[in-house]
Amino acid sequence: MSRRILPYLWTLLFLALAALLSVAIGSVFIPLADLWRVLTGQPPQTVSAAATIIFELRLPRTVLVLLTGAALSGSGAAYQGLFRNPLADPYLIGVASGAGLGAILAMSVHWPYSFWGLMAVPAAAFVGALLTVFIVYSLARLGKTVPTTNLILAGVAFSSFATAVTSFLMLRSTGELRRAIAWMLGGASQAGWGPVLSILPYLAIGLGILLLNGHALNLLQFGDDQAQQLGLHVTRTRTLLLVAASLATAAAVSFSGTIGFVGLIVPHIMRLWFGADYRRLLPLSLIAGAGTLLLADVLARSVLAPQELPVGIVTAIAGAPFFLWVLRRAKNQGYW
Amino acid sequence: MFRKLFFAFLTIMLLAACGSTLSVTPSPTAAQIPTATALPTSPSLALTDGLNRSVTLPGPAQRVVSLAPSNTEILFAVGAGAQVVGRDSFSDYPAEAKSAQDVGGSMGKYDSEAIVALHPDLVLAGEINTPEQVSSLEQLGLTVYYLKNPVTLEEMYANVETVGSLTGHADQARTLVDSLKTRVAAVDAVIAPLDSRPTVYYELDASDPTKPYTAGPGTFVDLLISRAGGQNIGNSLTSQWAQISLEQLVVANPSIIVLGDSAYGMTPDSVKARTGWGGLAAVQSGQIYPFDDNLVSRPGPRLVDGLEALAKLLHPGAFK
Repeated sequence: MSRRILPYLWTLLFLALAALLSVAIGSVFIPLADLWRVLTGQPPQTVSAAATIIFELRLPRTVLVLLTGAALSGSGAAYQGLFRNPLADPYLIGVASGAGLGAILAMSVHWPYSFWGLMAVPAAAFVGALLTVFIVYSLARLGKTVPTTNLILAGVAFSSFATAVTSFLMLRSTGELRRAIAWMLGGASQAGWGPVLSILPYLAIGLGILLLNGHALNLLQFGDDQAQQLGLHVTRTRTLLLVAASLATAAAVSFSGTIGFVGLIVPHIMRLWFGADYRRLLPLSLIAGAGTLLLADVLARSVLAPQELPVGIVTAIAGAPFFLWVLRRAKNQGYW
Repeated sequence: MFRKLFFAFLTIMLLAACGSTLSVTPSPTAAQIPTATALPTSPSLALTDGLNRSVTLPGPAQRVVSLAPSNTEILFAVGAGAQVVGRDSFSDYPAEAKSAQDVGGSMGKYDSEAIVALHPDLVLAGEINTPEQVSSLEQLGLTVYYLKNPVTLEEMYANVETVGSLTGHADQARTLVDSLKTRVAAVDAVIAPLDSRPTVYYELDASDPTKPYTAGPGTFVDLLISRAGGQNIGNSLTSQWAQISLEQLVVANPSIIVLGDSAYGMTPDSVKARTGWGGLAAVQSGQIYPFDDNLVSRPGPRLVDGLEALAKLLHPGAFK
């Protein structure tokens, strides 16, 4: 029993610690005593703005980053299972480039300052991401089947196209360039609970579907023919998983920009440590991805305070060496 | 198999039902903004800012955080320097501005925690800040005033007077604007009778010397060059941050080259050394001048300094 529960305990502990760090650490130093007072509803003593900082800035940001990390890692694990390819990440079939194109198109319009005006850029990014997946899927379909090779090729081709158009628009823009680049590099920038509430339904649906299909992903590892013979409806399942993973990724990207590396590396680490059973790998990737992105966000906020590094840079700089270390230590075990 | 699908379907329906009620969020600002109570002695201020938001203050702002270097310059110029408690990373003029706390701003991200911890009663944002940033600060309970970038000198004067009334220095602001208008009129008076209008190439960036960037129409550089008695060769281009090819530059053959990128190490000698540039009139006559780009790119009172500097560059004989 303990061998089954232990991985969950470890990753949940990791997540809890990362969340605690994310709430406790920021550019303004709030002593732990004050943190405790604020969380239990008493007025703080050292830093008078502590309540605003904790409840309006750090807690919403912690939850948003947590959800984003979970979405990216969960989708990454699903994509790796779907395509049977260790290099697959959530942006494989164009979610990132589609979201970027949508975002920059929205940024070139001056929306009125209202609730919907402020939602324009995330909404456009979300729609752009989903539209791209739809186009890539339609391009890759051959009659009733969707071969994975076609999906990857169509995804790469369309991504290049979307990225080129995005770069062109960025060059033509004058004032919006900083905003566009900041968006592309990723990171949570809005205060308050608005972003969290906006993405929660899509994440719940997308990740929920993925979590329920761990067994299907296991079957897909044997190859399309074998999986079909074992009773799995391959095309239908693949489509469903693709839609679910893309939904979750699109929602995550719409508010946080394109954060790379988390969706690629975290599932691999979980696979190295806890095995490739997708029924377990998916939830573990979710939890570990949430914790990892939280840690990266803490670093991004505090290393160069008051400057804030884009999270994507931190995940790459910190994640790559760590992954290589894990890979070296596991070199004796059969891996993929 | 069917059981699994049914369970999944049920879960999705439940989540979607919960999600649809959650995703329609009401405007988040209502609960957090403190109501402005007018003090009995000082009048409360109500203004509409550059994003068409109505901003009310109980009195002149005493703790101001500036999120743009141009705003910082205006604040100090109207005499509100002592009221500036925080500023963005790029605010470096005047020198006293650097003693205010740095609240971020490079890579487009500001340190919201530091801003909140400063307890400002006014945050002065500019066009360099995105509407999302303004909205975030508003949700944290702060009063934000968004100062739209001016397009003409008159709009710049209006911004100066707005900042003056926001900080309780309206008289000083008016005096400053009057002196700025006098200086501009003095330059106009010297320039008007002159016949020559030399062609000017104002260099913004020449990382690729065959396709450099210059100031196009609608920029202050363009406006000030013509006001200073010159012709900006970038005026015929289509965008504000306009790329010009070396061929077009050779055809335009500017008489004067002004190096707006001298802060990044560009010198007249490096321009003379560029291949293909030797034939330009400005290079042959040696009329290549380094220039402080901050004087013409920050939309504040120093634009008039920039105008005077450009006029002296373009018509040195008239300003002895």
